[in-house]
Amino acid sequence: MGIKLYREPKLEKPIMFVGWPGIGDIGIIAVNTLKDILKAEVFGEIESWDFFYPRKVSIREGLLEDLEFPSNKFYCRRLENKDLIFFIGEEQPTEGGGIYASGEKAFQMANLVLDVGLKFGCERVYTSGACVSLIHHQMKPRVCAVASSENLLKEVKKYPNTILMSEIGGRGEGEGTITGLNGLLIALAKKRGLESICLMGEIPDWLTGASLPYPKASKSVLEVFAEILGIGIDLSSLDKMEEQIEETIGSFCSRFPPELKEGYDQRKFIAQANPGTITVEAQIHIDERFKKGGDEGGERPT
Amino acid sequence: MERDPLEIYKTPQLQSPSLIVGWQTQDVGKLGSKVIDFLNEKLKSQEVAEIKPLGFFPLGAARFKHDLLQVPESKFWACEEDNLLILKSDEPVFEQYRFLNSVLDFAESYCHVKELYTISGVVSFIAHTSPRRILTVFNKAELKRSLQGYGLENMTWEGPPAISSYLLWLAKRRGIPGVSLLPEIPIYLATGEDPHAVKVTLSFLNRRFNLGLDLGGFDLEIRVQNEKIV
Repeated sequence: MGIKLYREPKLEKPIMFVGWPGIGDIGIIAVNTLKDILKAEVFGEIESWDFFYPRKVSIREGLLEDLEFPSNKFYCRRLENKDLIFFIGEEQPTEGGGIYASGEKAFQMANLVLDVGLKFGCERVYTSGACVSLIHHQMKPRVCAVASSENLLKEVKKYPNTILMSEIGGRGEGEGTITGLNGLLIALAKKRGLESICLMGEIPDWLTGASLPYPKASKSVLEVFAEILGIGIDLSSLDKMEEQIEETIGSFCSRFPPELKEGYDQRKFIAQANPGTITVEAQIHIDERFKKGGDEGGERPT
Repeated sequence: MERDPLEIYKTPQLQSPSLIVGWQTQDVGKLGSKVIDFLNEKLKSQEVAEIKPLGFFPLGAARFKHDLLQVPESKFWACEEDNLLILKSDEPVFEQYRFLNSVLDFAESYCHVKELYTISGVVSFIAHTSPRRILTVFNKAELKRSLQGYGLENMTWEGPPAISSYLLWLAKRRGIPGVSLLPEIPIYLATGEDPHAVKVTLSFLNRRFNLGLDLGGFDLEIRVQNEKIV
């Protein structure tokens, strides 16, 4: 089990962006798109075989040619005033057949990611995921944030279209858990002395079981990433996917019974009048996860 | 601390043997179990080691099938006279990489295995009266060439891998040549037994390793089954 570096790039206090599949694949789409836009280059990987069963075998004319595992790769990019590391994991490791990252393997995976970050002098790590919300799919998703320190919360408040969990109506004092590796990683990062922030794009509650990507929320997260890095980014690469998904969602909605559709459509007006009244379902519970040592929902590999 | 999953009862006296592996879960036509049980009985194999189930199988509850308790097992037998090492095992549910490496660790380090043969049935849309082909997957071209005269068929496939393919891949990384033998099983016999496929597989092994096995008993089983199906 280990890290394989193809080369050792010279980086100065890089910021790390980490993406895994989850609800609506919001985080991985955001991080992967940023990585592609900035043309980051691969420099290493976490070897997969100890974490995952291979997902594809290629056999030709009786000869086993290749076995393919989900990849876990590190990329880097030097910008003018910031160095960046990206980590993209194609799957979250699970134990006991669960669908969410859990157990020793998830712990090991998160620590290996941080080992690489720390090796290159990383001081801050961002993860991204989904914030399940009573939002309408035609509304622009907001970005909900959780951070590892009071100082970071002050900074996060300045990000565009971003709110803290405590600012969302019905969420009490901003309590909750971030399940899966996006939560585990930022918690372990804090424990290992790194600044850590999770940025979660809003997704309508009823879409969480739909196994559909939700690029609209990924775009919201990407806008925040752009602000953090002080760069302009062209998000048109996500337009086509967004259009197709909107069409699919619209088609589902048109089949809702009239009273359900009416109630759902009201979400648009409630939110526009008073954003504070939007509630988020009980999927986001930071810190409790570590008290309980469990992982009962939320992030979901597709 | 990770415990060694291998429990070795006896280091067998084998001279660069071949390893034959049969899986007894997801065992199409019960082919793997039947072939291994027949070999162990007729060759008077001795139990030499096992891979302990902890960490590889769900142990939180007792599983039963046809009213019988099913305990996960992974046992090695040795047939010193015919220079064969045999593994009959449930397919690991967790930590497949560690499990399969434990198989190869024992085979390589303690027994100096030179070749690997895995046995699993493959569901086919053939009638029970049709001949059974043995489809094959090799991890090295040299072994494929050396088995050319045995009437084996090459498989072509892209998709989710079976556990045998994963084992072949790991064996290849260690330089151990191997082949998966995948005899065809008619789809309607997949959950039952297919003595015809068992016989075809044993015939291949008989010829390959000069085992001198008498397989005549299978003819009656095949005839009885054919009559029942009709």
